[in-house]
Amino acid sequence: MTLETLLFKEINIFPELFLGISIVYLTLHSTFISINKHYILIQNSLVSLGVLILLLVCYLLLNNQLDLLNVTNFNNSIVNDYFSFSTKLIICFLSLSCLLMIQQYLADQKLNHFEYVILLLFSILGLFILISSNDLLTAYLAIELQSLSFYVLAAFKKNSTFSIESGIKYFILGSFSSCLFLLGSSLLYGLTGTINFEDFKDLFLWFFQSNTVLTTLNFDVTLILMAMMFILISLFFKLAIAPFHVWAPDVYEGSPSASTFFFSVVPKLSIFVLLFRLFYFSFYSFFDYWRYFVVIFLVFTVIVGSFGGLEQRKLKSLLVYSSISHMGYSLIAFTTGTFEGIQILFSYLIIYSFSGLCVWSIFMLTRLKNNYKNKQNKDLTDLVLLGKSNKMLAIFFTTVLFSIAGFPPMIGFIVKITVFLSAIEASMYFVALLSILGSVIATFYYIRIVKILFFEKLLIGKLYYPINTSKSILVVLLFFLFLFLFINPTLLFLFSYKLTLISLPM
Amino acid sequence: MPGVQFPLSLEYITNILMLTNSLFYLFSNVLIISSFMVIFVQNAVYSVLFLVLSFISAASLLFLLECEFIAFMFIIIYVGAIAVLFLFVVMMLDIKVLNISKDSLKYFPFGSFIGLVFLVEILILVQESFQLNPYQLHDFFNFYVNWYDKIDAVSEIEAIGQVLYTHYVLQFLVAGNILLLATVGVVVLTVNTNIVNLKNQIIFKQLARNYKNVLLF
Repeated sequence: MTLETLLFKEINIFPELFLGISIVYLTLHSTFISINKHYILIQNSLVSLGVLILLLVCYLLLNNQLDLLNVTNFNNSIVNDYFSFSTKLIICFLSLSCLLMIQQYLADQKLNHFEYVILLLFSILGLFILISSNDLLTAYLAIELQSLSFYVLAAFKKNSTFSIESGIKYFILGSFSSCLFLLGSSLLYGLTGTINFEDFKDLFLWFFQSNTVLTTLNFDVTLILMAMMFILISLFFKLAIAPFHVWAPDVYEGSPSASTFFFSVVPKLSIFVLLFRLFYFSFYSFFDYWRYFVVIFLVFTVIVGSFGGLEQRKLKSLLVYSSISHMGYSLIAFTTGTFEGIQILFSYLIIYSFSGLCVWSIFMLTRLKNNYKNKQNKDLTDLVLLGKSNKMLAIFFTTVLFSIAGFPPMIGFIVKITVFLSAIEASMYFVALLSILGSVIATFYYIRIVKILFFEKLLIGKLYYPINTSKSILVVLLFFLFLFLFINPTLLFLFSYKLTLISLPM
Repeated sequence: MPGVQFPLSLEYITNILMLTNSLFYLFSNVLIISSFMVIFVQNAVYSVLFLVLSFISAASLLFLLECEFIAFMFIIIYVGAIAVLFLFVVMMLDIKVLNISKDSLKYFPFGSFIGLVFLVEILILVQESFQLNPYQLHDFFNFYVNWYDKIDAVSEIEAIGQVLYTHYVLQFLVAGNILLLATVGVVVLTVNTNIVNLKNQIIFKQLARNYKNVLLF
């Protein structure tokens, strides 16, 4: 292939290509600098370089006008449409802000190995390929790329036993779930002879439970269902849906906070994109079959997420349980099977990721002045009387927590109510009832944080280090975003409407 | 096959057949002998080395059958990964050489019984599945010509490469990225750069030391 035939613009994986090449370049660059005699610390500059690379990826995404395209290439294994374009942009923005926020943390914890940023960029590359993957092989490779770097990120703090333990736990359970994915996809390949999502769609489009041809043909779907269940369960492992959530609190608690920040904010959106592509694009005709399983999982998830958080003393594990219950709520929208359900799923996920970003940023920014500088894991009591010592930060924190819990003057309320409405419209009354009850219970632990922030009967609060201006600007912007979107939610809903309209095959 | 004139002469074909047949007998004999040696050799390290030899001869048998890809996989996976792993484990365990010939004599009847059962099964299968060529003693009997060779000049590896580097180039690159990531991750988790006052041997200093410079009392 010469350069004339291989025009980069036509390949339209140019952002991924750029990201991959810059990762390799960054590895070489930082290796050559750091093997020099003086052991220069290049962590800070590498974080800035990572931010720069992500900004350039954003620019390339916007510049190529990939939103206008709807093409598949590389032997139909990569799909580029508006859906993948916009989710890539969102993920790019989220990870960029993540990198900015964790910079100070890395310096404080003396995580001075330059590989941290490189591993993060690797996982972002994996997420990008996962979003635009159009067959099972590419999806598997992308998941492996993403989760392998996550295992190392979880075990990154080598002098901490907790970190190593959580890394090993994550590794074992994550590779187990990858095995399940492989088993499911090989079963599907054996049954259908293809691994392409579009071929699955073409093959199974005629298949509906009400189809009368089927009853005469006696078509057996058990094995296909089994394969789908394997894939579903492996993805649920990655999302920490309830029966498979057991790793999540341990791993999130033990791994360094910067990694936990990244685990809980960024990857969920892209895994939902894969779930959507598989189960709404390819296997939509089996909807009646897989729906029951997902409904059982989601009810269990909401219950576990709301009750599990009640007893937590650490802020991190509390946030983990909150994220588990949120995954449950987004699965409600996922199981409705209606057009509106998908629209609401994406608006919910976007708001979830942004509010997660805000909460974790505040978590990172409150740096305690105490004798144990290396203490990274925050008890709830570490935030006691934040309302006195840093009033604005406490107000922002409260607002975001209320938004997550679903209180009215924030966007969290609107997306949550639309999730329950979509469930009711799809006649899932019992599910809606249970999850509303779960949501009420979950509100308790959000309110408990607010109580600790403002109304604790103590004379002496804690002291905190001052906050960097650029980072506080980001938090303020996110705070106003939640308020603004409550006043004008059309923006969000139109965006998600367009996403759904373009990406649904039928 | 470049440099070969078509139609092929009978002599040429017989030569090729002779060569492949003799190679087949050689490798299969090596395979049988080495797999026997795996069991009967006393030293565990030698038995692992014989295992490697048996893998290699099996791979060369596959080469003769023109299954190059599987042969390479055999060598890469079994010899490169599994056998080396065995070797490491055996070396680390430090098993003493024991006299196990008595034990093997004890297990001989049972083992030979199982072997006989399998032999009978295979013989029955062969008898059911294969028939003698009815034309063998006939005028129509032809020499064996591997028509696959003549028609399809692309070898297996080449065919796989043609697909891998065109249709699946992206997946190939992602797999390479995964390998790079694994390397980076291993380096992060194992290399310890924090040790400042590492006590190293300074060989020059040791060699330059003589009795005159040593502190005397």
